[in-house]
Amino acid sequence: MPDSMPQEPLLVARSVTRVFGGAHALQDATLTLRRNEICGLLGANGAGKSTLSRIVCGHLSPSSGEILFRNAPLAVGSARDALRSGIALVAQETSLAPDMSVLENIFLPSYAMPGRLSFGQLRQKAQAILSELGHDHVLPLDMEVRRLSAAQRQLVEIAKALALNADLVIFDEPTASLSPIEVDRLFDVMTRLKTSGKALAFVSHRLEEVFAITDRVTILREGRTVAEGVPTAGLTQADIIRHMVGRDIGHVYSRPSVSAAAKERLVALTVTGLRAPPMVRDVSFTVRKGEILGLGGLVGAGRSESAEAIFGLRRRSAGQVQVGGKEIPPNNPIAAIRAGLGMVAEDRRAQNIVPDMTVGENLFLAQMGKHKGFGRGHAARRRRARDLISRLGLPADRMDANLLHFSGGMQQKVIIARWLLIEPEVLILDEPTKGVDIGTRQAIYELLREVAERGIAVVVISSDFEELLGICERIVVVSDGYTIADLPASRLSEESLTLLAAPRSSAERNAAFLRDLVAGHGGTAFWGLIDGGQFVCLAVAEAEGSPAMGFAAGHVYPTHETAIPAALERRQTGVVTEKDGRSTLLTRLSNRRGHDLGWIGLSLPPGGTLPDPKFLSARMAGLFETPQDEEIDA
Amino acid sequence: MSAPTRSLAMPKFAGTLEFRMLGLAVVLAVILSFISPHFFTERNMFNILDQSVVLGIVAVGMTLVILTGGIDLSVGSVAGLTGIVLALLLKEFPIPVAIALAVGCGALIGLFSGVLIAVFGLAPFVVTLGVMAMGRSLSYIVSGQRSISGLPMGLQDIVYTTVLGIPTNVIFLVALYAASWAWLTYSKGGRTIYAVGSNIEAARAAGLNTLYYSIFPYVASGALAATAMTFSLAQIMSADPIGGNQLELDAIAAVVIGGASLYGGRGSILGTLMGVLIMVMIRNGLNLLGVSPFWQGTAIGAIIILALLAERLITWKSRRV
Repeated sequence: MPDSMPQEPLLVARSVTRVFGGAHALQDATLTLRRNEICGLLGANGAGKSTLSRIVCGHLSPSSGEILFRNAPLAVGSARDALRSGIALVAQETSLAPDMSVLENIFLPSYAMPGRLSFGQLRQKAQAILSELGHDHVLPLDMEVRRLSAAQRQLVEIAKALALNADLVIFDEPTASLSPIEVDRLFDVMTRLKTSGKALAFVSHRLEEVFAITDRVTILREGRTVAEGVPTAGLTQADIIRHMVGRDIGHVYSRPSVSAAAKERLVALTVTGLRAPPMVRDVSFTVRKGEILGLGGLVGAGRSESAEAIFGLRRRSAGQVQVGGKEIPPNNPIAAIRAGLGMVAEDRRAQNIVPDMTVGENLFLAQMGKHKGFGRGHAARRRRARDLISRLGLPADRMDANLLHFSGGMQQKVIIARWLLIEPEVLILDEPTKGVDIGTRQAIYELLREVAERGIAVVVISSDFEELLGICERIVVVSDGYTIADLPASRLSEESLTLLAAPRSSAERNAAFLRDLVAGHGGTAFWGLIDGGQFVCLAVAEAEGSPAMGFAAGHVYPTHETAIPAALERRQTGVVTEKDGRSTLLTRLSNRRGHDLGWIGLSLPPGGTLPDPKFLSARMAGLFETPQDEEIDA
Repeated sequence: MSAPTRSLAMPKFAGTLEFRMLGLAVVLAVILSFISPHFFTERNMFNILDQSVVLGIVAVGMTLVILTGGIDLSVGSVAGLTGIVLALLLKEFPIPVAIALAVGCGALIGLFSGVLIAVFGLAPFVVTLGVMAMGRSLSYIVSGQRSISGLPMGLQDIVYTTVLGIPTNVIFLVALYAASWAWLTYSKGGRTIYAVGSNIEAARAAGLNTLYYSIFPYVASGALAATAMTFSLAQIMSADPIGGNQLELDAIAAVVIGGASLYGGRGSILGTLMGVLIMVMIRNGLNLLGVSPFWQGTAIGAIIILALLAERLITWKSRRV
């Protein structure tokens, strides 16, 4: 609970600006953290949350701006000074030393502190911290960190910050790889830290968790603070997303623009049940010839990993990939290329170009993989390469120039051209405009459209939702390694896409609950968000033979287009009967702190008997017990 | 006091790479003692220890460097140069002063490499390759392309004095390994070396002094190369400009046989000791068997590759489980 009297701020960061290679990662950002409070730090991909956290902790120096800690200026850019003054960061797992033990990683900062080193004492302290996190027996202190799972590494990160006993702790996406039970435990620990007078910041994409734990939120957009220290209690998911995206929620009512002709086009790539642990859990989608499909989602949702698994660069443990109806074998990029797949990977420098080769040599790289034999039609290919290069707006005589001498955008074009040379059926592009200036972006978009027009299926992965909406006909949303939505871009807005992409820790639990409801009462049970005349359907369970509802999971609908407009527009707990006689019981789903997590509804055909609303609410409250204690009886 | 990682503590020692290398050393010793009656004699055992001194001292510095993810190709020529410098200094100064100055000279050369690597971010391979070339060339120039003899007889004392029947150079070697093992295992500085090699970003984020601990290993390596050469000079009683030639290759091989990763963060001083003993034993055994010295390179190379291949196969197997 926030104190009635706001505390004196412990940390104030003002007009913090950070420039990375000409681009502003942060511009005039502010952040205030108080004792006895947990402040959520939110923002879309690339809004600057992590940059701001790292500046506060001294891992990065700001280009300008000031940071006051306990009313005194904080020396910036020194991790040691920040640690000594009592600021700790629970970073992503990259800040562990993989060759060292759990114990040493937890106490790594103590190697820079004065005093004698006693491993015996450290061991006891570590045991105490881990038992607080509920992991004293599960996480062996002598285990090398490289052998730990992602979740265990995360716990080590958390323990490391707790061991510092800092006054201010920033949790940067601490729950990304934790299970619900571990998240609960972490939240208990965070609450205890808060009541003992510490100031906490919680960086997360997970709105449900933000509602569950924070007292205030600060929202960043494109490096600027757009909402500072707003009490969480007065916010809804839609409010937060509006701040993150920066526009009022647009109402997009147009029907899918996928033309009939498009539907008849042949399927070029089918991915079914793709699984490549730990990042990819269940990914399925299809792309037709000449279609541009977007794979949307947050950073870390498993999109790039899916693409790598499809292309054979990452070991897949289940699932099928078919190109033009033919199955392609796993873990074999050469077979994938021969089957007609092309992939432009995310990291241009590391994965795509051979920097010291010329443009021409880089162009022919994929060719070498596709064709067996030597010297087959080299002259003809060279002619085609010249052709392509001139279309890209490059003088043909630069074929023999070193690729490194070109701009990022031009390099990207050359890489795309490389794949076009081998005439793929499907071209997958991972973040094709990353680090590319706006002018060249436009040229790349045009190139992609042209590629699609030639009948090649194009899959674009992008964290820039605006870009996805701009170039794709259809978007598949990936969240936490699952494909959760597949819908035409025209039905989506940046807001609804953000809403769909947000990982929902409760998704699996709620889906099970819906199936349960339907098993007990028949009809259709659904879970979704209702906002501004739109219904965002997150999950549906249907009994056999129940009438069509006009919505499906993972889609966004104007409420009046669904079969139950009266119920959805009323937005109140209770029973509503539609004009056609079907009746719907709608109940607000809220967490233990009373925050809106959407609505759960049960709709029965005319003549059905709905359960008592109170009975339903009581069962829904059971959703928030810790899973161990959960007992759902059908 | 319990050790920080099991790989360094006795209870889990079995099953670690050091243990397997100890096994390899024992197996080698047994085989050699069967083949040659002269191998397993007290005299030859001391011989092996004596032959381990120079390589052993250099390998300690190399271990520190490799633990941070670096490499020091210059140790051989630094040893050669400081040997010449020591021989010249001995003509002017008393023995202890001359030794201290020569070791200081080695440390300075290490500091030069370390600063270029840690402060200017140059690749360790390239920097130490350059220093290697310079060191060798300077040792020819400073010596006037001749070996320098006529060193004061007192210098021999650091090798031929014995305590309880054990020569002082062997005592020094054992003390150096014990001290550096304890330092690397139990001290903040030693653990910081591991942290820097394992993930320098993590070390920096934890507030550790990454700059200091990235430079220090090169300084230690330079100083130890000079120290090793001091012992060598005391035995041969002359300094040759080609002295210490290819010492860097033997030292790197010993460290790698001892289980260190060239990417840094993994390895131990005990492993290095095993590596040194294995290298010296093979040489010694082949000499006893009268194998032509020209074949020794092939034999040593094959054993290094086989040992690492076996190690890789073992860890692959355990990783799959």
